[in-house]
Amino acid sequence: MFYCVQKMNIFSSNISNNGNNFQVNSSSGAAGGIGTIKKTPNSNNIQPQVKKLVIKNLKDTSKASENYQVESWSHLSNAIDSIYKKQPIKQTLEELYRMVDNLCSTEKYATTLTYVVSKHTKSIWDIGLHYFKTFLLSSTNLDKKLRIGILINIEKERNGETIDKDLLHHLIQMLLSLQIYESFEKELLSETSMFYYKESNHLINEYETPEYLKHVNNRIAEENTRSLRYIDPSTKRAIIQVVEKQMLEQHLDRLLQKGFNQMVEMDKIEDLELLYSLFTRVNGLSKLKSAWGQYIKTAGASMLADTEKDSSMIEDLIIFKDRMDHILNISFSKNDQLNYSFKESFEHFINTRQNKPAELIAKFIDSKLRSGSKGISDDELEMVLNKALALFRFIQGKDVFEAFYKTDLSKRLLMDKSMSIDVEKSVVLKLRNECGTVFTAKLEGMFNDIELSNEIMASFKECMAYTEHIKNIEMNVFVLASSNWPQYTPLNANLPTQFLEYQEMYRKFYSSKYPNRKLIWQNSLGQCVLKCFFQNGKKDTISSLLQTVVLLLFNNLNQDEEITLGKIQELSGIELEELKRHMMPLINSNTRILSRRSKNKSKILEIDDLFSFNKDFTHKLTRLKVNALQAKETVEENKKTNEAIIHDRQYQIDAAIVRIMKARKTLTHNLLMSELFQQLRFTPKPVDLKKRIESLIEREYLGRDQNNPMSYHYLA
Amino acid sequence: MKVTIRKWQTVSSWHWDVSEECCGICRMQFDACCVDCKMPGDDCPPVWGACKHAFHMHCILKWLNSNQQQCPMCRSNWEFVTTD
Repeated sequence: MFYCVQKMNIFSSNISNNGNNFQVNSSSGAAGGIGTIKKTPNSNNIQPQVKKLVIKNLKDTSKASENYQVESWSHLSNAIDSIYKKQPIKQTLEELYRMVDNLCSTEKYATTLTYVVSKHTKSIWDIGLHYFKTFLLSSTNLDKKLRIGILINIEKERNGETIDKDLLHHLIQMLLSLQIYESFEKELLSETSMFYYKESNHLINEYETPEYLKHVNNRIAEENTRSLRYIDPSTKRAIIQVVEKQMLEQHLDRLLQKGFNQMVEMDKIEDLELLYSLFTRVNGLSKLKSAWGQYIKTAGASMLADTEKDSSMIEDLIIFKDRMDHILNISFSKNDQLNYSFKESFEHFINTRQNKPAELIAKFIDSKLRSGSKGISDDELEMVLNKALALFRFIQGKDVFEAFYKTDLSKRLLMDKSMSIDVEKSVVLKLRNECGTVFTAKLEGMFNDIELSNEIMASFKECMAYTEHIKNIEMNVFVLASSNWPQYTPLNANLPTQFLEYQEMYRKFYSSKYPNRKLIWQNSLGQCVLKCFFQNGKKDTISSLLQTVVLLLFNNLNQDEEITLGKIQELSGIELEELKRHMMPLINSNTRILSRRSKNKSKILEIDDLFSFNKDFTHKLTRLKVNALQAKETVEENKKTNEAIIHDRQYQIDAAIVRIMKARKTLTHNLLMSELFQQLRFTPKPVDLKKRIESLIEREYLGRDQNNPMSYHYLA
Repeated sequence: MKVTIRKWQTVSSWHWDVSEECCGICRMQFDACCVDCKMPGDDCPPVWGACKHAFHMHCILKWLNSNQQQCPMCRSNWEFVTTD
């Protein structure tokens, strides 16, 4: 309602301004008040009083207002421009005033009008700021003093003093409002840079690395809160960058050099974590990476170099790797680059000592899988095995591992030394996952042979020959496919006739099942359970076949009758050195089944030493093992395994050379060598490679170039 | 009697009962396999001809399939002999 009235007013004033004669005498305020009541003059005096109502026609007023707003707006805006340009205006000021008055009644135009005006002039506030700024800048000293004052205060706070932060906040806000903050910011940054430059150069010498890093971290946090508290937040990034640059970037090498190795050595997980996070801030990762790799290389290499610690090397390496893993996972948040460098370095140092680590890993696993390694649960065993295999992953000479693992596995299987066949199989499965089926084919073949042998044995025990002839003795035969197993050299021995009969029975039975096969008996691997009768009771002894042969000789002698070693050798038909080796446990102080009488006191057995059955033997156990040496690795065996590896490698080298040359036809010596180093899974010695090349030239696979002796041709 | 035997556990390794050591065709040992096989054993056995010459089964089959019907060693007609 109020709106309507107002509108009416606008129109009326407008119309009268246009010089129209149409008149509205009174706006009665009635709704739609278009009609008006006109009193005639003297109407009060005439009786009876007659009121005359004159109704005028409704005039169409909307026409005039249709474009009114737009038009008057353009008039106004032109007029404002003209006024500021000091040009004459078309309308009178009165007219303009009315236009403004009318237009301002609608809100839309009120704001735009302000805008148009402010285009040409400044607010009082701005003008105030402007004059304040000119005042401040005109007296150079004041400006300078102000800035220096702020900077001094900031430095004071950095040095640990308390300052009026609110004051500084206001001052900096002032600089921002006066738009002279930018130049101040530059000064602030260079001042900060100077401050931290000095501080870092001083502290880097004084503090240890972890201490220094903590300090840097605190400084960064301080600067962070400072810029939020009273310096402008827009400066935060720049200022922290300055701190990082001065405190860290300049000193990366120094920091690593000074304390990194100690930190890793002492497992300073948190310090390292801080180091990592600070280094990633300033692109220091590549430097950290090389220091990290270098540490692992040197620490690992020194562990390997100590030959006296060979026996505990693998355990030490597992612990070392666990520690490094821990640091990598926790402190370095599993960073890919660092992880890669970790693996690379591990691989590097573990292969610095040829073959030995591979051998020791195989032996370590052997020691865990042997029965009698006590006090370890299945889960723990699984974990230890996984860790050992993780080390194995780094080994280049996997063939060395295979060879030693195979000899150990064969002993565990054939001497019943294995803790559990299931665990054995799970290890082989892991190896297969790691190295592929070719690698484990022979190992798996060994398990098959054992299972097959058990089956054959079971059916042998059901057949006539066994049930009728083999009595009192439980016989068990393992038949091996020779290619799966390590090479054994058959040992000669004069077996008791009983044994020979049994062997013959088994042989007949076996060839009825498998024609075209012949069996070669491996006496060195046979073992027996014997019952020995002493004066103080019976003992079961587990002894090697050769020991059995020797002990059986004493059955034919009188009580206390002595026999020389030479005679024993003659009767048993065992090679002398082998015989001595097997005799040693029988005269050992702990299991002295035989008594020895010798002219000299030396431990080495002589050919004329005298032996007799020790009838007074006592022992708290009823079951004795005297065949331990069979299960143990001898020096000769170790040598044999190593020779077998070298032998196998020759073929691999030959095959690789021929493969490369067949593809390339002609190649210089150096190129051939580098290709060989790439292809071969182990690191061969250049001398060995040369020998193989020579041998291939002799066999006419290759030929030397006539003009250039350093270049080879492939001869088809 | 001082010692009696309760149990005897012994080990033997089996080999193909062939008089020659190598296959005359591929020159590989019979205990190893022919050049086309990876694992020695029952999958790559030797076979005998009427002339008593033995070869890897795979080797002699290759030879016979190339339309040669004589033993490569003695040129007598090849006939498989199964030994029992």
